[in-house]
Amino acid sequence: MTSPVTATSSPTRLPARSARPAALAAPAPPAAPAASLSSAVLLKSAADRVRSARPELADRLDLSSTQALRAVRDGFHGSRGVEADEVLAVVVIGRLDLPRWVKETCAFALSLAPAAREAWRRSFTRTVYLAGNPANLRGRFAFDHVACDDSAAWAAPAPGSATATLRRLLKAFEASHELTALPAVDVTVPGRPGGRRPVHRDLYVATAKVTVTDALVHVNHLLAEAVLDGLIGPGDRLTLRFVPRLTGLGAPLAMLRVDTDVHRPDELQAYAGLTTEV
Amino acid sequence: MQPRKNVLLAPVTVTPTKPLTPSHLKGLLWTDVMFRATAPLAAVTYRYSHTTYHVTEQTVGFWEYLDRTRGETDYGQLSEEEIGDLYVAYRSEDRPQDAAVLRPYRDAVEHGGWVHPASERMLRLWAGHYERLGMHDPGLREHQPPGLGLEEMLERLAAVGLLLDQRHCGGPVYLDLTRYGMPLRRIVTSDGRPNYLACALRELMPLVPWYDEVVLLYDRELDSDYQLLNRVLARLGPTVRRVPIGRVPIDGRITSARHGGWHGHTAGALLDAAAEAVGDGDGDGDGDGGGTDALRLGMRLYFIATLGPGQSQSFRHDLLRNCLSVAARLLRRAADEGPAAGAADLPGALDRHRRGHTYVDPYRLASSLLGRGRPAPDPALLSAVFL
Repeated sequence: MTSPVTATSSPTRLPARSARPAALAAPAPPAAPAASLSSAVLLKSAADRVRSARPELADRLDLSSTQALRAVRDGFHGSRGVEADEVLAVVVIGRLDLPRWVKETCAFALSLAPAAREAWRRSFTRTVYLAGNPANLRGRFAFDHVACDDSAAWAAPAPGSATATLRRLLKAFEASHELTALPAVDVTVPGRPGGRRPVHRDLYVATAKVTVTDALVHVNHLLAEAVLDGLIGPGDRLTLRFVPRLTGLGAPLAMLRVDTDVHRPDELQAYAGLTTEV
Repeated sequence: MQPRKNVLLAPVTVTPTKPLTPSHLKGLLWTDVMFRATAPLAAVTYRYSHTTYHVTEQTVGFWEYLDRTRGETDYGQLSEEEIGDLYVAYRSEDRPQDAAVLRPYRDAVEHGGWVHPASERMLRLWAGHYERLGMHDPGLREHQPPGLGLEEMLERLAAVGLLLDQRHCGGPVYLDLTRYGMPLRRIVTSDGRPNYLACALRELMPLVPWYDEVVLLYDRELDSDYQLLNRVLARLGPTVRRVPIGRVPIDGRITSARHGGWHGHTAGALLDAAAEAVGDGDGDGDGDGGGTDALRLGMRLYFIATLGPGQSQSFRHDLLRNCLSVAARLLRRAADEGPAAGAADLPGALDRHRRGHTYVDPYRLASSLLGRGRPAPDPALLSAVFL
């Protein structure tokens, strides 16, 4: 996939598990369905994301089926550029190291001001991925966040015109390799912990038939929206775990990234999932 | 006396897959006049390596297509137009070729200097056209490999921060001059196919440090790529000059030879018609003298002085015939009147057509032969540059 524009469907925060019986349940298995990623769960996840980004439209949109959801998504795509408050972030990638990129993506999202966060959420955390060497661009463009090793750089969500020159100069990021399953790796989110203690979550990423480009899109949406929701904060530890598919994980999930199934175009699939605290 | 400068002329090459068209002829004649007019003033090298560019998609792709669809064919009997028709068929084939199927062809070029018989035949026919036109043959059929392998070239660019290589995740390789505000340019696809710009870099990066001035001649449509090439090469030392040459529209349209539409306008057809017009029935330059000279001079007067560097004028047979007549008259005057006073100073005469650069401007030089009241051209000039 070479499109620099992400799909608008999906990560959605799953229903809070506040009803979890916690320690009372002791040796019994978790009462809550850990993460049975049934069609209904996936659909609800995707629909919740739309409701969360555009609550004022939620009552008017049909989010009752995969097909209806796709129509809604196409509708948002079709209206792109027309809406005055449409914004997009830009990430320029020089050399990709996925764990580092995850860390810096969180740092970037955490650095955004409240107004930018809100506008970005309303635009479904739309992000454009470009190939480029930040070291060669810093003299000409003021990025809002640059990875400490110059491997990537970010421009904060803004109307497209703000990054038009940059986007003309660079090309859409292409990475056609299938994502490689790496050993699990820990990433610590940069920054000094603020209002809450740091937590530890697992971040599951699907690899089978998922290109590196597609994985970036999925993980980026998930991380960005988890930061906007406060699920990821400074000092948190994320363990990246790569699996062919998120089927039957058994881990309780706090947020999912859902999009069209790689095998069945009329069904949904979870591409990434953030667990509850581990 | 100042030491002679070293000048490298590096025109974009024509891939030997289709007939030479008026646009190609214009570029070739332009380069030939520049080369021969600069030679008395500087140490000039005319670099024109087909070997370097055979590995590009359009050439190895065509070869693979021919072997896949034609099998055993005696290409030695085919005409330029017949091979060109096969090329048009290839380009209209809606079937992407996998990098793997092209690999044997690229390997054969890289490691053995192999050329497919269809292109070998084309180059043999072109050598004949060069001969009829009196053009210097820069080694059409010689094996002239580039000085750098692909990886070596990429390493050199990377060493100076001008490369963005994303092959590690299945991406392409880019020439990266974004620090100068120039757009990122893909030069190797994610599956390893180099484009012509990658080939030009392999060829020119190791060559240009030896020269004082490098002249890049190319189609106007390639200007953005040649600006990038200019920037890379200038870092290596020489002064780089870009000379974009406009194409020649046919009936008001500029189209690529891959789409066909060149029947009746190929180099062979134009040469036959021109030979007939100047009374050199076979036009083979076999000694019937005046006709061959008129053809050679007339073609240069038309494609250089008449069409000029732009591309606003469509090809016109009548104007070409007129140039052939003018050429014949100029040649008669030169023979009858002999060199004018002071004409023996050939370097001085050529030097007037340099404007702050070492190479001689073909347009200014060719145009200087025309115009009312001009003295008869110096036979030595005609012989050295135009015949």
